[in-house]
Amino acid sequence: MSIACPVSLDREKLKSEVRATYARVAENPQGEFHFHRGPEYAARLLGYDLAELNALPPLATAPFAGVGNPFMMDALPPGGTIVDIGSGAGMDCLLAARRVGSEGRVVGIDMTDAMLARARRGAAEANLPQVRFDKADMTSLPLDSGTVDVVISNGVINLAPEKDKVFNELFRVVKPGGRLQFADIIVGTELSEEVRNNIDLWTG
Amino acid sequence: MIEALQQTGFQRVRVCNFFNSFSGTTKEGVARKYGVQGANFIAYRAA
Repeated sequence: MSIACPVSLDREKLKSEVRATYARVAENPQGEFHFHRGPEYAARLLGYDLAELNALPPLATAPFAGVGNPFMMDALPPGGTIVDIGSGAGMDCLLAARRVGSEGRVVGIDMTDAMLARARRGAAEANLPQVRFDKADMTSLPLDSGTVDVVISNGVINLAPEKDKVFNELFRVVKPGGRLQFADIIVGTELSEEVRNNIDLWTG
Repeated sequence: MIEALQQTGFQRVRVCNFFNSFSGTTKEGVARKYGVQGANFIAYRAA
């Protein structure tokens, strides 16, 4: 069910396309895209609580483009350290910050400047100082080994051409006894080489 | 995805929920053709 990156795919071009696509989402969440965005979508198709989302700054919620709901599986530990891989405009980080409380810590990781800027403004507006956002590639996280209780992510790992490197990095930062709880896409059929080389399908 | 996580060293890897994340988008037909959908995953690092 996983998507392996074809040898012939230009990985730098793929990363550049991903950055460009999500920069456009950050700048104009109501624009035309091949995927849903926003809190109404999150509530209607992914099981988020719309009232909880409406209490967050629209700066954080409008560009949300996840594919599942990482909060469904288990409660986040109060006071814990949470990392969101591909945090985008920060909606899931703000929800996580409310769950871990003021003694907890939430780190959002993203590689798109426009998303990071939006996320930082949203966290300030929500008055959640336990959240910070760092610019980084998900294969090289600015975090010490064994320091994270829970890694969350929502529709981002599928965009990485080197998933083995991503998973190794996640294993490094998670504490023994810690966990990943993330949402992503799965593919139910074996994809042809032609489809796997189509960057438009990778970037959504 | 599950195999890759297990090979990394994560344990008790499982898919918990599925979502029709592409329903109503312009990629709905492609998603249906290839069986693409959203899913929740959980995986643990041994204590």
